[in-house]
Amino acid sequence: MGRYFGYLILGLFSLPLVAGLAGTLLPALGGMPELAPGNGLSILLLDPRFLPALMLTLKTGLVATILVLLLTLAILVSVHGTRLWRWVLGMLPPLLSVPHAAIAVGLVFLIAPSGWLVRLLSPAFTGWQRPPLDWVIPDAGGWSLILGLVIKETPFLLLAASAQLATLNVDAALRIGRTLGYAPARCWSRLILPLLYPRIRLTLFIILAFNLSVVDMALLLGPGNPPTFSVFLMSLVNDPGSRAAASAGALLLGIGVGFAFVLVIVLEKLISAVAGYRRQSGHRGRGFGFWRTLACFSAVLLLGLGFVSLLMLALWSVARRWRFPNALPTEWTQRHWLNHASLYEASLSTLSFALATVLLSVLAAVCWLECERKHGLPNVDWLWYVPLLIPQITLLFGWQAAALYFSFDGSWLTVVFAHWVYAVPYVVLILAVAWRELDPAWNHAAAVLGAGYWRRLWQVRLPMLMVPLSQAAAVALAVSVAQYLPTLLLGAGRHQTLAIELVTSFGGVDRRVIAVLAVMQSALPLLAFSLALFFSNRSSFGVMKSSRQHLATRERAL
Amino acid sequence: MKLQLHAATTSTNVWHSDKPDCDAPVEKCCKRSKAHASAFAASLSAFATLCLLLAVSAVLPRQAQANDQLLEQDWKAVVDEAQGQTVYFNAWGGSDRINQYLQWVAKHVESDFGVTLEHVKIGDIAEVVGQLEAAKSVGRTSDGNVDLMWINGENFARMKQQKLIWGPFAEVLPNAALIVDSPSVKFDFSVAVEGLELPWGGAQLVFIHDMAVTPEPPRSAMALLKFVQDGGRFAYPAPPAFHGTTMIKQFLSELTPDPAALAVAVEKADFDSVTAPLWDYLDQLHPALWGKGKTWPASGEQTRQLLDDAEIDIALSFNPNEASAAVKGGQLPESVRTYIFDKGTIGNTHFVSIPFNAKAKAGAMVVANFLASPKAQARKADPEFWGDPTVLALDRLSDAQQADFQSVDLGPWALPLGTANTLPEPHASWATALEQAWLERYGN
Repeated sequence: MGRYFGYLILGLFSLPLVAGLAGTLLPALGGMPELAPGNGLSILLLDPRFLPALMLTLKTGLVATILVLLLTLAILVSVHGTRLWRWVLGMLPPLLSVPHAAIAVGLVFLIAPSGWLVRLLSPAFTGWQRPPLDWVIPDAGGWSLILGLVIKETPFLLLAASAQLATLNVDAALRIGRTLGYAPARCWSRLILPLLYPRIRLTLFIILAFNLSVVDMALLLGPGNPPTFSVFLMSLVNDPGSRAAASAGALLLGIGVGFAFVLVIVLEKLISAVAGYRRQSGHRGRGFGFWRTLACFSAVLLLGLGFVSLLMLALWSVARRWRFPNALPTEWTQRHWLNHASLYEASLSTLSFALATVLLSVLAAVCWLECERKHGLPNVDWLWYVPLLIPQITLLFGWQAAALYFSFDGSWLTVVFAHWVYAVPYVVLILAVAWRELDPAWNHAAAVLGAGYWRRLWQVRLPMLMVPLSQAAAVALAVSVAQYLPTLLLGAGRHQTLAIELVTSFGGVDRRVIAVLAVMQSALPLLAFSLALFFSNRSSFGVMKSSRQHLATRERAL
Repeated sequence: MKLQLHAATTSTNVWHSDKPDCDAPVEKCCKRSKAHASAFAASLSAFATLCLLLAVSAVLPRQAQANDQLLEQDWKAVVDEAQGQTVYFNAWGGSDRINQYLQWVAKHVESDFGVTLEHVKIGDIAEVVGQLEAAKSVGRTSDGNVDLMWINGENFARMKQQKLIWGPFAEVLPNAALIVDSPSVKFDFSVAVEGLELPWGGAQLVFIHDMAVTPEPPRSAMALLKFVQDGGRFAYPAPPAFHGTTMIKQFLSELTPDPAALAVAVEKADFDSVTAPLWDYLDQLHPALWGKGKTWPASGEQTRQLLDDAEIDIALSFNPNEASAAVKGGQLPESVRTYIFDKGTIGNTHFVSIPFNAKAKAGAMVVANFLASPKAQARKADPEFWGDPTVLALDRLSDAQQADFQSVDLGPWALPLGTANTLPEPHASWATALEQAWLERYGN
């Protein structure tokens, strides 16, 4: 009986994946003529925006991913083991929990020609009485988007890497390397990175897929003319004559991401071949003082930019008048917090999705893991990664087509289902580690004392797993709060969550109102993480306390 | 005048209609369902469940018919039917002030008529038109997602052509009689309105400048070119953003050798020769713009923000009173003023309309009628709340209603009254053609 329940969960999870791919594939190939007339691929290829948008996406996606990887490695090599490292580790979870859109808005307030950085320096240091005309945000080259992605994705890879480092014996490896006379950087590149890289490859792939297909951040930070490929596809899918073209484009994006994975693997083989050859050279290498300083500096800069962006949101949300070049608002107001009914509605709507997602995803994960343990179901961890590795747009165009076709678009449940599909992987992967690690002896002891299955679950296993459970719940909440695309495409415009309000109102609505929305959108997951942290610290089950493993697959707001 | 007479005769018929009033929602509005309902109550047998199912299936096809009866029923019946309905109003949600105004409307239609108004905030109404086209093509002719929509121009032309509008409903509404008789109310971008949409507000392209920075702003397209080439800061949103499209229409109206061609469908004009001076002009203008012709503001509202940030000198608005509202809201300095080009700027009317497959048509009619009421229009005209010019003819209002309008203080920041000099919108078909040509030239 329980076994079938496990299969039911797998089915519920796989159904949207299959339906999504089918719903994108069919219109792309002309299989749904009433919903998507025409030959999608030819319409797409003839569109003058196609090629520039594709090139721009390749640039922003690949450059951002390479920078994320290089920065992560540089920070690991230079900062790991120093006092700065603990500070960096502490900064990562809050930065990770904040939605992409909120960080993007704050970043614009910070780095625009009339942004805070220029205001702080003007006119005293720059002599600028008015904002400079040398750059604009968002810029035509996509660099502000790249910066935003790097700020948001580097912490994710860094956290995944730090969790894996805990399972490697880094200090011993470094000691051996140093004893043999290798410079610290050489120790890392020859002893640790070859072990570490395969363990963070999957996370890197998730980041790559995300960078190539992101929509909300590209709308806020990316250039508009041409836009990135996924934003271009979004403008197509809203035009009924172009759904076939949009679906073909989404398919193409999915295939492109697959090619990018292959490219990374080929590069990896090349580098490891070269590294293997160089490893035999016996060169000990020299110190790396300059690079080390640069890496420390970029770590601080990166995290600093993220946090100051959040500060910008807070400042603008209470500003009434704040003109260039004043460093602080000249008039303040709470009006935008108090007298803003849509904030209240959007927060309620966001919370209703988030709580339902938390409840259903934790429930599903616990059910699945219990079935897996009790009935010896096969380990299907690869399946949970699938929605994270396929571009969101590729799946969602298909879901939307299916929802339109069967007329269930716009319902609350449809949107919750979509959020659930994106939250469940993180919840399962976080809980799986703890579930499999938990000593079966506790269970046996309770059984010997006569406790039945449910009593063992409720009174022994679940309480012992409270810490990872609360962390997983916080992650599920953060994922749901950040969902823009599923809510937009499946909600038929009826569910105005904070994410939707924030992205659609950017560029139009009063900056102060946008700041209020962004602060609120950041506050919900931050609050959830604080609660989870509070819970972990209070927890009396020292055995399970904050094993870094749980952080390994930690939240990523897609 | 013809339109007015027609409205009057219809409404007379309506008021003298001898149909019985119908208090129940539309499903229960026909005798068959009532018969079934009473059978259910009388017998209380297991068989009744089947009867109920039958009743529901019998009523469903009749619902469309009942909806069309709405256009002939008297207004009280419409109001009764609207009670308890939820109206999804798809309207651009990019302005907090407008969103708050709609919340005020929602509060009033809830308390006065028992209608729940949900403002569905959208970025571009063209997307909604697209969804309606899709719904029509898959045969979803009832229970649609949209009950009321804010619309004008090429979107209206597209909806009218594809028969995506229910009606003509506008002439049936009691407050339609108060609306001013002007060409822009009867012809939406040169397309005849014919009661398929209800006028909601007026609009005109205006410019906002900061007296402290730019005391003498440019007052024509050519002066604007000289202004930016001399170091002045200006930017307009990239079409198809609404303000961007309007800006190039403005340039075209001023620069074209053949203004008469703009009043007819674009297919009938020689597009290349009519627009050649425009592209020459933009080729010179773009390198000197903020963003160097590579980056564009996302919207007209963003130009206002950029003006406040001192990144640019002149902001665009389609609302003559926007600057007043912005100064009062703390979004612009008190030294701003609003002006238009010497030879006038493009103006038009915006409307609300009901889609063919709307679920709550009676509710949508009640909301539309409220939007055109003197109370709602006076509040809308006040920059404190929105500052959108009214479509009502003030001489048709009672003294008390007129007083509401006269108490509105526009402040020195708005376009001074009496200086409006409106140029007509080109025919609706021009917008798409211009947007496409613009994107081909400057899109990347």
